[in-house]
Amino acid sequence: MNRDDANAAAHALLSRIGLEVAFIGPDASAGTATLASLLDELAGAVASAPAAIVSQVDAAREWLGIGTGADELVVRFGTWHPWMEEAVTAWERGQPLPVAPVWASSVPASATPSARAADPTAARPQDDHAPPAPGRRLAWDDPAMHQDVAVLPDGMDLELVTLFCAEAEELLRDVEQGVLVLERQPDDADTIATVFRAFHTLKGNAAVMKMVVLQGLAHEVESLLDAARRGTMRLDRRAVDVILAGADVFSRFVAEAARQADGRDVGRTIPLPVQGVIDAVHAVLAAPVAGPVAAAAESGDERRDRAPLAPPAAEHAAIPAPPAAPPAPGPTAQDDVPVGDVRSGAVPPPVARPDAAATRAPSGGLVRVDTRKLDALVDLVGELVIAESMVVQGTERSRSGDDHLSRSLARLHGITADLQRTAMTLRMVPIRATFQKMSRLVRDASTQLGKRIRLVLEGEETELDRTVVEEIGDPLVHMIRNAIDHGIEGPDGRLAAGKEPEGTVTLRAYHRGGHVVIEIADDGRGLDPARIRARAVERGLVAADAVLEDHAAFDLIFAPGFSTAETITDLSGRGVGMDVARRNIERIRGTIRIDSRPGLGTTFTVAIPLTLAIIEGLLVAVGDQRYVIPTLAVCESFRPAAGAVSLVHGRGEVVSVRGRLVPVLRLARHFGVSGGVSEPTEGILVAVEVGSEMRCLLVDALVGKQEVVIKGLGETFAGRAGFAGAAILGDGRVGLILDPAALVRRRSQSTETAA
Amino acid sequence: MGGTVPISTLHAAATAAVPGKYLIFRLGAACYGVSVLSVREIIRLCPVTPVANMPAHVRGVINLRGRIIPLVDLRTRFRLPVAADDDRTCVVVAQVPSADGGLRPYGVVVDGVEEVASFTRDTLEPVPDFGGAIDARFLTGMAKTPTGVVTLIDLDAIAATEHDPGGAEPSMGADA
Repeated sequence: MNRDDANAAAHALLSRIGLEVAFIGPDASAGTATLASLLDELAGAVASAPAAIVSQVDAAREWLGIGTGADELVVRFGTWHPWMEEAVTAWERGQPLPVAPVWASSVPASATPSARAADPTAARPQDDHAPPAPGRRLAWDDPAMHQDVAVLPDGMDLELVTLFCAEAEELLRDVEQGVLVLERQPDDADTIATVFRAFHTLKGNAAVMKMVVLQGLAHEVESLLDAARRGTMRLDRRAVDVILAGADVFSRFVAEAARQADGRDVGRTIPLPVQGVIDAVHAVLAAPVAGPVAAAAESGDERRDRAPLAPPAAEHAAIPAPPAAPPAPGPTAQDDVPVGDVRSGAVPPPVARPDAAATRAPSGGLVRVDTRKLDALVDLVGELVIAESMVVQGTERSRSGDDHLSRSLARLHGITADLQRTAMTLRMVPIRATFQKMSRLVRDASTQLGKRIRLVLEGEETELDRTVVEEIGDPLVHMIRNAIDHGIEGPDGRLAAGKEPEGTVTLRAYHRGGHVVIEIADDGRGLDPARIRARAVERGLVAADAVLEDHAAFDLIFAPGFSTAETITDLSGRGVGMDVARRNIERIRGTIRIDSRPGLGTTFTVAIPLTLAIIEGLLVAVGDQRYVIPTLAVCESFRPAAGAVSLVHGRGEVVSVRGRLVPVLRLARHFGVSGGVSEPTEGILVAVEVGSEMRCLLVDALVGKQEVVIKGLGETFAGRAGFAGAAILGDGRVGLILDPAALVRRRSQSTETAA
Repeated sequence: MGGTVPISTLHAAATAAVPGKYLIFRLGAACYGVSVLSVREIIRLCPVTPVANMPAHVRGVINLRGRIIPLVDLRTRFRLPVAADDDRTCVVVAQVPSADGGLRPYGVVVDGVEEVASFTRDTLEPVPDFGGAIDARFLTGMAKTPTGVVTLIDLDAIAATEHDPGGAEPSMGADA
């Protein structure tokens, strides 16, 4: 690829790598499979870069390749990542590179593959490896404890593997969520049962897939949970750590299996601390914390339950039904896996899916549907809505007096509206899975930073469009890390400020007026407009004598390269997060707003349209043209009184809205439309708000409010016209859909250059 | 990557006309032709929604059975004298390559559609060298007919360069 493409790719990969590293928890090595593959891609992207960059990428790959421990990785990446960002930028500009970091090869490499993998499909304990004494925290992230494990069983149907991975991911999410609950309430019987069932199911599925290593691991962790379930032991921090470690090993295995089933790096083995975790389980079981039921003699039946594994064949002909508790509908995980799309009717026999679906009685059963069929259906419904409204409008005149026709059309309209609503919900999934990923992030990050932080989740069942869910994850992570890194103070700081030592981050989701609103609130130190302003001046983003209102100062956080962190805390202090977060949100036509009070906390409010395909719009007339303004952005509309609009400095017009002076944009002039009203008092001002910026658009009249199907304008207009798209209006004409963000921003630029 | 492209590169880019069927249409008094493989349909001129801040030759968008397609004025693009639309004016809906490797619709306004003609190798000729007097960027050849000549054009190239600042005067010292 040419240099510019390589550069852009490198930056994008570095951004994702930064994200992945954020997920490496201190207690367990998780997620490194994805990180490894990102580094592989990065190696490709920088192939033509200066040698220093290439060798740094190789170094990072090596760290992962030899199984460096999580703590060590976080420290190393904390230096590596910022250097890489600077170096790639310098490469892009043809400037000299910064001085490269030098790495000590202090991480002990695990034994060579040939020595360990006598039987590649099972992990064998080392002869010289005695079970560690109980009470000592086991370093299963110690590379010396890793064994190389082959991931794909011979001759296994790859489509089955992909299905297995998808279901395993769901179960592992349940495990993680349950464990986080158990950390605070170790006696919660329901959660213990849920996590137990998850591992039990994982064990069964692994057996069917002939993944002996996983099966063995699951069996061990299951026995730990079984003891807790029966009350003979209590889950303390050690036990929780072990369970999480087991889940992480599973995750890495599954991630690798999914990759290989997809055709990448087929046949390679990965180092996993399987034996380390198993030993840890034994250690905890050998010296458990006494549970509510005294650990007296186990009954003979219970002993039988914990017997060594029976041969997998007979007892696992059918997969046990997954736990019914978290609904987590099928489409969430399945649709992203192309190989896993099951054409209707082609259910693979051994996995016995219909049974699993049938036992989820409360939710009425689930069906897997090819997402392309779903999208086609939703599109067609959109077309139907338009065609129906054209019929209704077209027959308006000929209908008067014909009651029968009017009634029939009214009924048709009702059915069409219902159909549209139902079609939209087909693509909706709850935000639960995304929120739950954040739990893990908060737990790990707060431990890492030495802060005590509690994450409160509200509205997990709030549903939003599938594609939106995918896009919202990254921005949420950035904002939460922002809150954790900069918002919440350390325990001492909080006590000094008269607060509880434990900070709270609240993630709240709800529907409001056709949109999904997600709030990220913290009770930390809040944003200081003066400090932000000072930093912006220092960064050259704002002139030294510029006057900034508080809300405009908050907006500066989103400027690229901005950061008020004094100490760069691994990644979030880099300032690469927030501008990307806002761009991602705007890409799905959302808006983001900041509210903050010094000393009390900060709240980010993200509002996203419920679906990307249909928006509610305010239809306005400008001259002989019709435009659609997304109602999400509209605050209010009014006819200005005489004298309300003032001319400023000979060229700008402003009007007072809710006590603020807001610039006026005459749409007729802006779009070159003839025939628009010339006096504001003869027209209507529509106040639109984007983030903290506001503008008043002058139009001739409000025509109405309606839902429209958004159609893209196409490549001819891509990124140039400042419109969000086009809609077919009821009379067949095209109404251009305004992009409030573009209107607000472009205008600001032009007034600056004109000044 | 915006900016002007050297003329020499463009001549290399516009493919030479091949024998086959062509749709003949008029722009003003002159006849032009485009390969029928590029043409999806021909429709009457319908209401056009203008889109602001676009180059002059982009008239706007139209609604074609629920699909939004761009509408381009070839007379403006070729810097021919402008004329008013009349009842013979119509829209040729063509398909041109899209960025993702597929095809996208592209509407061009023409002053009238004449016929579909087959041109063989004998009737085709390369574009004469007018010594820089005309902008030959999108011309792929000339065809001889009993009634005159038809100038054959490459719509793919026209669509691909739609963001260029109109048709620049062919300059001898091409920009790098």
